[in-house]
Amino acid sequence: MRKLDVRGAKCPIPIVKAKKEVDQMQPGELLEVISTDPGSLPDFKGWAQTSKTAVLKEQRTEKEGAADLYIHILERK
Amino acid sequence: MAPNHEIDVKELLEKVDSGAPLLVLDVRNDDEFEKWKIEGRREFKVAHIPYFDFIEDEQAAAQRLPKSQGEVIAVCAKGGSSEMVAEILRGLGVPTRNLVGGMIAYGEYLEPVQVAVREEERAIFEIWQFNRRGKGCLSYAIISGGEAVVIDPSRAIEIYQSFLARAGARLAQVLDTHVHADHISGGPALAAKLGAGYFVSAGAGFDLRQRTSLLKDGDEVRCGKTFLRVVATPGHTPGSVCYLVAERYLLSGDTLFKNSVGRPDLGGHVIAWSQDLFRTLRERIAFLDESILALPAHYADLSEIGAHGVVSATLGELRRDLPELRIAELPSFIEAMTRAVRTPPAEYAGIIDANLGKTGADPDRAVEWELGRNQCAASAGSRDVRRR
Repeated sequence: MRKLDVRGAKCPIPIVKAKKEVDQMQPGELLEVISTDPGSLPDFKGWAQTSKTAVLKEQRTEKEGAADLYIHILERK
Repeated sequence: MAPNHEIDVKELLEKVDSGAPLLVLDVRNDDEFEKWKIEGRREFKVAHIPYFDFIEDEQAAAQRLPKSQGEVIAVCAKGGSSEMVAEILRGLGVPTRNLVGGMIAYGEYLEPVQVAVREEERAIFEIWQFNRRGKGCLSYAIISGGEAVVIDPSRAIEIYQSFLARAGARLAQVLDTHVHADHISGGPALAAKLGAGYFVSAGAGFDLRQRTSLLKDGDEVRCGKTFLRVVATPGHTPGSVCYLVAERYLLSGDTLFKNSVGRPDLGGHVIAWSQDLFRTLRERIAFLDESILALPAHYADLSEIGAHGVVSATLGELRRDLPELRIAELPSFIEAMTRAVRTPPAEYAGIIDANLGKTGADPDRAVEWELGRNQCAASAGSRDVRRR
């Protein structure tokens, strides 16, 4: 699975970078995006609803010390 | 980005209020947009196209923009995504500016408006109402003889500091009308910064850890050539007070609003606090002269802003207009207040703890907590619930 680390980046950067990455992937390939922006949860969901290339497979929140990490798993259509 | 590609909240609200042709393009996600949006004193055009739709396909997203005269103002939560969208639209030939700081800046913006006082009072004192448009919060500065008292300040204390510096007034005292639940008080920070006293009364059952001045019902707080009198008005909270300026202007906190009274259910003791509020209204407020002007700490709707930009009503007008002030029997009052009970926003518990001084107000969390309009009124319930 490919990984994209956008910790510390604020919107729109996480989705701008994720879209670039997904567009280069092969159909069926997976991408894990790691973000620190809580707003990325609804925004990735919203983007995936209209995206022609990305499907949102999973979203979860993980603890890293005191900080929350927001993980999004995307699949290339 | 060149500054002429940006617009600040002040200019945007001036344009919107004056009816200038513009289109506000909100690029946040659906939930954020539904919960809370820019409001003006006049109707204006709004479009909602999330920024990620522009990332996915900028041409297709731009085509969804309604045709409009005037410029487009792009808005998002913090100003980052809207800056990208504004750039894309300008690239496609659509004149677009970005709202600097986004909804966060909108939520913190304060508009100072002078309250008209009587001619004989003009040489003695000034009253300024700071309208926090994004939240519907009102705070005040009384200025007299080179001194100032600030009441119910919001978290963005720099605005009061620069206002007082321009007015050439020394801050003598900061007062809160009660422990606020909907926004972080700027009171302790403003008082500490300028070396003034701070007062809030929490009331029984609250673990107040702020260092505060000792004031009680009937005490006078001097401000230059005038004074404010403390009027204990328990109900919205057990410690709620109003401040009567020069015996004529009642800073009514969350006890009296222009369209209702302060909800007595936020502490989870609706019956006991309703009894307090009933006594306050019948035994304290009822004895104040009808010509006294009430200046509240909130409004629920922009229509409450009067012709000169001030939110106010005389006690006579409130006695005529507010059903809550006409209920003569305690059981009916309790019943009406109990009917208005609704779940307080989840953030309110954390805000109360911060205002009691039990926890520090982490700036990032404070911003999250304060998103959206206040929900402090009892009868405006249905309207506010729909909005959130």
